[in-house]
Amino acid sequence: MSEQVLVEAKDLVQKFFFKTILNGVSLQAYAGECLGIFGLRGSGKTSLLHILAGVDRFSSGTVKVLGDDIKKSQLFKQRTGLVTQEPSLFQDLNVIENLDYIAALKNAGHADIERVIALMELHDSLRHPVTALDAGIYQRLSLACALLNSPQVLVVDELIKDIDLFSRHLIIKQLKPFLQSGGTCICGFSNIEMLIHTDRTGWLDNGRLEFYKPSDLREKWTTMLNSFQEPGDA
Amino acid sequence: MFKTNLMIMRRELGYMWRDRGLRNILLLGPLLGILLFAAIYSAQTITNIPTAIVDLDRSASSRDMAGKMENAPNLKVVSYLQSYEELEESIQQGIIVVGVLIPENFGRDVALHRHTRVLLIIDASNTIFATNASTAVLGVTRTLSAEIGVRTLLAQGMDPIKAKNMYVSLDLKEEGWFNPTLNYAYFLVLALALNIWQQCCSIAASINIIGETGVKSWLQIKAAGFSKIQLFVSKSIIHITVFMVMALLIYFIAFGIFKIPLACKLSTLLLFTLVFTVALHSIGTLMSSIAGNAVDSTRFSMMVALPSFVLSGYTWPIEAMPGFLQPVVWVIPQTWFFQGFNYLSFKNPGWQFMASYFWALIAFALICYSLATVITAWKER
Amino acid sequence: MMKQIWNITHYELLHVFKDPILFIIVFITPIFYAGLFGTVYFSSILSNIPLAVVDQDNSTLSRDLRLAFANDHSFKIVPGADSYEAMETGMKDGTVRAGIVIPRDFEQSVKQGTSAQILSVYDASNLIWGFNSRKFIQEVINNFASHYTAEKLAGAGYTEHEIENVMNSVECNVTAWYNPNYSYANYIFMGLMMLVVHQIGLLGVCLAVTREKERNSWLQYIASSIPAWKISLGKCLPYLIANFFNYALLLWVSSRLVHIKIEGNILLMACLGLLYVSTITFAGYIVSIYSSNSLQATRYLMLLSVPLLMLSGYSWPRGYIPDILNSLALLFPSSWMLIGFRMVSIKNASWELLWPTLIALALMAVLTLYLALNFRKERKPENKHSLMVNSGLSYPRKINMLGALRQQLRASRF
Repeated sequence: MSEQVLVEAKDLVQKFFFKTILNGVSLQAYAGECLGIFGLRGSGKTSLLHILAGVDRFSSGTVKVLGDDIKKSQLFKQRTGLVTQEPSLFQDLNVIENLDYIAALKNAGHADIERVIALMELHDSLRHPVTALDAGIYQRLSLACALLNSPQVLVVDELIKDIDLFSRHLIIKQLKPFLQSGGTCICGFSNIEMLIHTDRTGWLDNGRLEFYKPSDLREKWTTMLNSFQEPGDA
Repeated sequence: MFKTNLMIMRRELGYMWRDRGLRNILLLGPLLGILLFAAIYSAQTITNIPTAIVDLDRSASSRDMAGKMENAPNLKVVSYLQSYEELEESIQQGIIVVGVLIPENFGRDVALHRHTRVLLIIDASNTIFATNASTAVLGVTRTLSAEIGVRTLLAQGMDPIKAKNMYVSLDLKEEGWFNPTLNYAYFLVLALALNIWQQCCSIAASINIIGETGVKSWLQIKAAGFSKIQLFVSKSIIHITVFMVMALLIYFIAFGIFKIPLACKLSTLLLFTLVFTVALHSIGTLMSSIAGNAVDSTRFSMMVALPSFVLSGYTWPIEAMPGFLQPVVWVIPQTWFFQGFNYLSFKNPGWQFMASYFWALIAFALICYSLATVITAWKER
Repeated sequence: MMKQIWNITHYELLHVFKDPILFIIVFITPIFYAGLFGTVYFSSILSNIPLAVVDQDNSTLSRDLRLAFANDHSFKIVPGADSYEAMETGMKDGTVRAGIVIPRDFEQSVKQGTSAQILSVYDASNLIWGFNSRKFIQEVINNFASHYTAEKLAGAGYTEHEIENVMNSVECNVTAWYNPNYSYANYIFMGLMMLVVHQIGLLGVCLAVTREKERNSWLQYIASSIPAWKISLGKCLPYLIANFFNYALLLWVSSRLVHIKIEGNILLMACLGLLYVSTITFAGYIVSIYSSNSLQATRYLMLLSVPLLMLSGYSWPRGYIPDILNSLALLFPSSWMLIGFRMVSIKNASWELLWPTLIALALMAVLTLYLALNFRKERKPENKHSLMVNSGLSYPRKINMLGALRQQLRASRF
């Protein structure tokens, strides 16, 4: 992990009418690190990640990605990739068509398509409609699409949740070279298992983000879980 | 960038093809429309209006009278009935449109120059039939009236030449301009087919923006930082192209196969159709930007498209509508199109006349596309 | 037994009232179209047809003829269109819709007892202008000829009574039945209204099941033990009532506000309406059961109105439509209803003449009712292996964040 800050958010506030979703969130993501954002359902993880990816607006604060203030410039998107929690690929296209089309949107070339197909081992699924894909293959495809433009910043939401072990293994395996090459990954998750793959993790709760070392976060989580147990529970 | 645009267009074509409902509607709707309407109006003109005669006299004079009705242009005597009640029932059932009742003692009264009355009944419940029937009957009655009047004067001892001069002998020569044979097929088939076509195009255009912003894959486009204007312009080009291909097919069938006459050059009509297509697409795009889902978008678009043919004044003229409504109907592009289409296809009035129609449609498109852009940008803020 | 049906009806009705667009479609749109078309056809008879009179004779008689046209409310003489060229230009740009050309030797020909030819031209690019102009011109010419003869006879010393005897020795009494003014509104308006009832009726009920499918709540119905017929009746009932209400309302509006001729047996009209509305409601429900989503159902149904009107024989007479199409038309309730309704409302036809229509509509109502009440309580598995779009349980829609927030706030208050 280097000292170079690739993503920086300061005092980020996200409100939706009367409801405050993010209440002064600040973070910094460094090159070569996998920054985790842990939070349960409804905590605002997806909102935060979408803001960092430049797809959602926010009420106040500043966000800089690769040195660009995202409110002033869209250029950073040429070097970012996004994997969403909800399926967001083109349902009217099959696998290879999705790669082709998204490559065109991102100005990536044929070589990039072949590269990501090889990375995510999608050769056998190229003609399948995306609606027919198993969860694991779908997620590999999503990541492949995110990697088409060789991003420096990868924003991923629930990357390995509820998918088969092989796909999980493949995805995690590809994260390492990405980080080693100087990229940063900001990873939202609600399953504590993902913790081991992160370097630092912030716990998003009640609109606030508090950072922990992975071991500290796991301890806090276990303490909280145990606090609900009553005498006599198995 | 051009490669990306081509990619978007290719995908849009695939999207339209893979939406089976849309595919069927766009490809089959207009074609079925023109074939259906051509078949419905295959008789083309109102002739042989079914006429029945009730001759209660059965004299030479009454047969002469019946003969005049038989020879009347556009009337066809299909039956001789026995009574007024039979005639009434036939007319009520719609079997007969014109009924002629020659009373008893008709021949005797005519010979004695006594007043007698022939009843001519027209079923006016269908004004298409009725107007034509009325014209045919009026022609007969004028000639008949003059003939019998002259005979009466002669019987009263008037000099033949003087008697003849009492009646003005008018030979009314009729000319239907622009559609000399009063051909209903020429008047309506293509217009109705274009009406179906514009409704189908409205349905397709209404999916333009919401079809993209209403699905999860919109996130991919937002994340890629891709220009939305570029995206929707590329999509729109494909939509408009497909609409024009269907219009071309309809015109081919109409002018090439059914030989419907066209007063202007085909290229002029195509250019006019193209401008209308863009305006039509702009309405669908605007509705698509306003609506929160594709169903509502379709409904909003069709709210304009469905009554537009009636409002356009193509059949019931705009000049016959109430004064306050007349400027209002010009607010929809379909009015400009169908009025312009009528002028171009029948009259070919020239560029100076048609220029305002072109400009109106262009202005319409600019306004709707601009509004759609503003609304989409505001919604996506 | 009825409790379950009322429950389903209750929730279906609640949904109609909660969904603003559906509410507008079911309750506001019919009256809107009635108002719109009523306004369009309000004048109902063509009058003040812009007429060019080209008087090449300029005699007393030709001026009398010109005056005859000027005094007839059917025409409005266009100033300045008094030459053939001006008439041609006017016809081309639409400022003139009909024309009379009185030839140079008009008065002379009449005085000499030879046939005087008058040229009447009319704009046949729109046959409404064309046919009406033609008829009105004939009427004016006939009246002119009668007036001329009456004057000549009077000039020859005939008394009024004697003139009457001569001119009407054979009186041709031309009567227009059912629609004496040849009102275009009486002819077409109720056909349009019946189609409005048809379309609105279909578009409301066709979402009854597709909406549930899209929300996945259809599972609750088909997984329960409630029989299919109860589900169908419960869901159809609100639309049945609303559609019949719209039918009655449109009749009232047409008769009272647009002044369309609606006479005849009210009970007969009610029966026709009930059968028609029932057929449409159940047919729409069947569409909803078998459509994959609301978008597909809406799209197809919206395109029906124009073909159905043309096919029915209501505007273009059946006698001129090929038999095979007439046979096809018989398969649609709109064909029976449009013609049947006209027979009752305009022609005052009785039950004896309407029984084929009533039987046909009743059969259709029974058939659609049977199909609606007897559907299989199973779901067709969604074909995820196809690339078809908008064919599944979803269609493009933006998530209504504001609506969701409102619901959350309401829930938190409780």
